Amino acid sequence: MNNRLRVLRAERSWSQQDLAEQLEVSRQSVNAIETGRYDPSLPLAFKIAELFGLPIEDVFVSPSKEQ
Amino acid sequence: MFTSKRGEKMNGAQRRYMWRFLPAMVVYSLVIPVSSSLIDGHRVDGVTLIALSIAPALPLLVAIAAVGLYLIEETDEYVRMRAIIGALGGTGLVLAFGTVWGFLEQGGVVAHIPAWFVFPLWAIGLGLSQGLCGLINRWGSRP
Repeated sequence: MNNRLRVLRAERSWSQQDLAEQLEVSRQSVNAIETGRYDPSLPLAFKIAELFGLPIEDVFVSPSKEQ
Repeated sequence: MFTSKRGEKMNGAQRRYMWRFLPAMVVYSLVIPVSSSLIDGHRVDGVTLIALSIAPALPLLVAIAAVGLYLIEETDEYVRMRAIIGALGGTGLVLAFGTVWGFLEQGGVVAHIPAWFVFPLWAIGLGLSQGLCGLINRWGSRP
């Protein structure tokens, strides 16, 4: 599943480690989500969206809407 | 059981796993030569023989429990998924190897091997599975 995590993180000048600490996950988890190797659970996806203050669909792209 | 990147601290579940698993392995490494030498020397029998025979298995049971508790306690869902894939890889290797070897043994093609081989084989399968997953992730990752 594609997402805008890298862009959103870069806009805030956060490193992967910064984001990982705020989400209480490992840096490798953030990296796996960012690169699309791992799709987070719904609770973690909501946590990510809430951290950025955005609706979940503004962070994660629905597979049905991917080009 | 889990893979940590360089410089990354272990979380609570990982620390508890290490505190359970490593002492169990130390005890195992101390018990196995004592048990083997006493049994091989035929200096024991009866209940003592049973106790000495089962003694090396006990720390391994603690190690197996440590693995199970870690999978339950790990809060990082991605890391937990990686650990579960590794454990499934180990289990698959044990099942595949045991099945093939069992039929070869029944046909008299290979010698009998003791059943305790399953735990080290499972650990090897876990390591191989995690290594393979790491390679696939590296090759398959999107920029």
